[in-house]
Amino acid sequence: MISDFVKSVQQGKIDPVHHIRSALEEVKNINQQFHYCTTIPEQSALAESKEAKTGRLAGVAVSVKDCICVKDIESTAGSAILKGYHPVMDATAVQRLKDEGAIIIAKTAQDEFGFGSFAVNVGIGMEIPKNPVDPERACGGSSGGSAGLTRKVSFPHVSLAESTGGSIVCPASFCGVYGLCPTYGVVSRYGLMDYANSLDKIGPMATSVDDLKLVMDIIGHMDPRDSTCTGPQHAKVIQKPRIGLLKSSFAQGVDPKVQSAVREFVEKLKRSGFSVSEVELPLTEKYGISCYYLISMCEASTNLAKFCGMRYGAHEPLDGNFNEYFSKVRSKYFNEESKRRIIIGTFARMAGYRDAYYLKAMRVRTKIIEEYKKIFTSVDILLSPTMPILPPRFADIGNLSPLQQYMMDIMTVGPNLAGLPHLNIPAGSVEGLPVGMLLIADHYQEQTLLACAKVLE
Amino acid sequence: MMHTDVVIGLEVHVELDTMTKLFCSCPTKGSESPNTRCCDVCLGMPGSKPVLNSKALEYALRLCLALKCNVSKELVFSRKSYFYPDMAKNYQISQYELPLGAKGSLTLGAKAVNIKRVHMEEDPAALTHPSGMHTSSFVLVDYNRSGNPLVEVVTEPDLASPEEAREFMKKLITILSYLGIFDVKQGIIKADANVSIKAGNYQRVEVKNITGFKDIERALQHEVERQKREVKEGKKIMAETRSWDSDVGITRSLRLKETEEEYGYIFDPDLVLIDITPEMIAKIQSSMPELAEQRVVRYINEWKIAPIDAEVIASDKLLSDIFEHVASHVDKPYAAKWIRRELIRVLNYQGKEMPQNPIRAEELIMLITLLQQKKITENTGQKIMELLMEGPFNIVEYVRKNNLEAVSDTGVLERLCREAIAEHPAAVEDFRSGSDKSLNFLVGKVMAKSKGKASPKEVNEIIKKLVR
Amino acid sequence: MEINEELVRKVASLARLNLTDEEVKKFTPQLKDILNAFSHLDRVNTDNTDPSFQPIPIRNNTRHDEPHASLSQEIALKNAHHTKDGYIKGPRAV
Repeated sequence: MISDFVKSVQQGKIDPVHHIRSALEEVKNINQQFHYCTTIPEQSALAESKEAKTGRLAGVAVSVKDCICVKDIESTAGSAILKGYHPVMDATAVQRLKDEGAIIIAKTAQDEFGFGSFAVNVGIGMEIPKNPVDPERACGGSSGGSAGLTRKVSFPHVSLAESTGGSIVCPASFCGVYGLCPTYGVVSRYGLMDYANSLDKIGPMATSVDDLKLVMDIIGHMDPRDSTCTGPQHAKVIQKPRIGLLKSSFAQGVDPKVQSAVREFVEKLKRSGFSVSEVELPLTEKYGISCYYLISMCEASTNLAKFCGMRYGAHEPLDGNFNEYFSKVRSKYFNEESKRRIIIGTFARMAGYRDAYYLKAMRVRTKIIEEYKKIFTSVDILLSPTMPILPPRFADIGNLSPLQQYMMDIMTVGPNLAGLPHLNIPAGSVEGLPVGMLLIADHYQEQTLLACAKVLE
Repeated sequence: MMHTDVVIGLEVHVELDTMTKLFCSCPTKGSESPNTRCCDVCLGMPGSKPVLNSKALEYALRLCLALKCNVSKELVFSRKSYFYPDMAKNYQISQYELPLGAKGSLTLGAKAVNIKRVHMEEDPAALTHPSGMHTSSFVLVDYNRSGNPLVEVVTEPDLASPEEAREFMKKLITILSYLGIFDVKQGIIKADANVSIKAGNYQRVEVKNITGFKDIERALQHEVERQKREVKEGKKIMAETRSWDSDVGITRSLRLKETEEEYGYIFDPDLVLIDITPEMIAKIQSSMPELAEQRVVRYINEWKIAPIDAEVIASDKLLSDIFEHVASHVDKPYAAKWIRRELIRVLNYQGKEMPQNPIRAEELIMLITLLQQKKITENTGQKIMELLMEGPFNIVEYVRKNNLEAVSDTGVLERLCREAIAEHPAAVEDFRSGSDKSLNFLVGKVMAKSKGKASPKEVNEIIKKLVR
Repeated sequence: MEINEELVRKVASLARLNLTDEEVKKFTPQLKDILNAFSHLDRVNTDNTDPSFQPIPIRNNTRHDEPHASLSQEIALKNAHHTKDGYIKGPRAV
């Protein structure tokens, strides 16, 4: 556990320089086979470790998803179009970790800009991260590198990940680690390279509930540099939360092995004294995916317009007029999934289609939020499997159409659309593969989620 | 509305005079060295986030109120997407469905020009085309301007001539400067115009890139003439966007960028709704500065200033401000008359406007005091005004050194008149037989003898008396 | 609504993407598939429902008009490849 390690560092029993040096060696070794890191900033990590004697994360090795800016460390959001981008600032969340003595040892691999559920949509020329228990399988996305590394390393470590539609809990589930996606706005997005601004959330991944909680306490604060940041609103922790088991956990399309894992988990809950009732979210289950993808693609297609080979990132010899030059750079360096989402997003906000797609999805989201708000009057925590399937083989992912891939987010898009805090709890394994349970709570109830997870740990 | 021969609607972009940019804390003024007043936000760097400048909103609200707009209950920003080298993000943070102000009006004499909407948006960066827009192989981009706060004022197509468009712009600038939200000296005001003529079946052409109120009349006159010529030559007016080239004085067809349908507006999800409460409006309303119309009334009623002087002075905020300062020290109607006529005369002579006026209130107070006390003649006063255009100096000292005190000693004046009469008997004869020209000639001779220090009116009377 | 190759090309060019013929052939049926699936949202009654700007109502966050230090020119330009005399160089505008 991190707090024990930090105590040893503070007491001088562990030398952070020595510790970080060996951590870096381990990460480099892991990376050769598993490709969890886009950048391993050895020099700055070693330099920082010399100063790291105080703070709640003194000397703790932290990895950061590539889409979260770390000052002067190449940050590409997993895309070739951002190759060479060295942010001029730290993301607020990164700054807060550094202020507590954390050492950034890696930027982690992801689907380009977060566009994927398996971390296979990596940037052109980049490597696909592999599942820590079976390298033939995906580690989930989009924060795949963060989850894999968190599972694989032997030293105390937490990762800063990011979720738009499930990108924290999905890979946490496939890799068998804890992942917490906080309420929208609790953690500042300043320094986060946007996928879809009204959905993006930064959150921690770790191997214990206490570590998650420690990181959340450090990063979850108000920030004047992000207009949408509220910080935690100190909701009262619910001592004996009523659990609502989502009936969709047993719907068609959910792997029967995953279904039995859910049943086992429910038994465990009951044994621990929780009351469990079955509930339904008909609107969210039916329309969540469409609503999520439309909003996220519309926003993403505007966010990605800035990448045009001028101020940062990939560039080409400057010839042709602006249309020709921008098109040349963008066509060459965006991967296929980015292009697909840019086109759909651009289409869905064009005059003539905007009302039927973009605005409609924005209105449906309101209704989905209302549906959740209503259900939280009768239960406190919603339960389902995080993913409907076990970590898939790369070969099987290749056989899925884009739409079929989008459908895999069926469990995770709801809480993300509604900005609800949600958590993946590793729930053992099926045939040696990790399986995870998804707990969702009402806005600002991350402490209730953490307390519940702690009981079950 | 479309019954006039020429129909013009304007979209005016005004730079608000805040200390910092619209969505980041970079200063709007200061270093002119390129890319020295910018940050991650206004450079559009990945990871940056916009945060609204509350002062910019307050300024925009002042304008909405001055233009009698209905003010929206919420401020909502949208992303207007289009690609161009001056764009930091390839979308502009602007407003779409819900403009801050709507349905206002601006009075031009007897006519009310309807204001369709007033909204806030950010300025793009400044582009330099090193060897001209159409020949440069690249552009140079300076992001110092990127993110500056703008308000856009959109009129209904209510303007019936280029002159009227100019008057509108002038009146708008007056309002802006009175509101204290626009820097008349350095601020940028630009306009795009929709122009159509009856003979062209009111087919609208958009003219972009018109800077300042002087250029607007020129650009629109040119465009109206161009359209008339096209019709005369039997051509159809095409719906198009043309760019005004001020240096050459022509409009050019622009290769089309995105059209309105293609901007793909979405609400900017990085920004939050801002409530515009009745309390907020009331507070701004109560702190609204005195506007030009109110000053005119005060000048005429309280200060007994001639209406023409009051109108002219109040129509220019800087002129009016300097007048207010001077008027508190000297006779108000006299100061008004002098400033209205003489200050404007010397400025016009040098082709300058009030923002370039070098004459300070201190000098004007001194000068007008001397004039009022008849220590110098109006003639001398006018000359001193001309000299003041070169920069301030000590007027009392200058008058003394150059021996310019008015000759008001009747004895001295009579002596000079007698001399002139004696020296020009022929002129005296002519005057006696009724020639006013000869009288003026004699007065001129006396003026010369006094080195301009005598009052022509007084000399005139003395000669008349002596000759009769 | 007809999603065809022509529309895909038009939207791609609006987004400044040059698609190869293969990409157009691949994307067109995929986009058709996806957008047709998404269009079932029209079955949700959203009369009297406002769009959700963020998942949680967040309002009135602004800042004061106080200048902060900007980046130095060197830092502002350090990520740009094409620069000249303190300017960022871009492609020509026409």
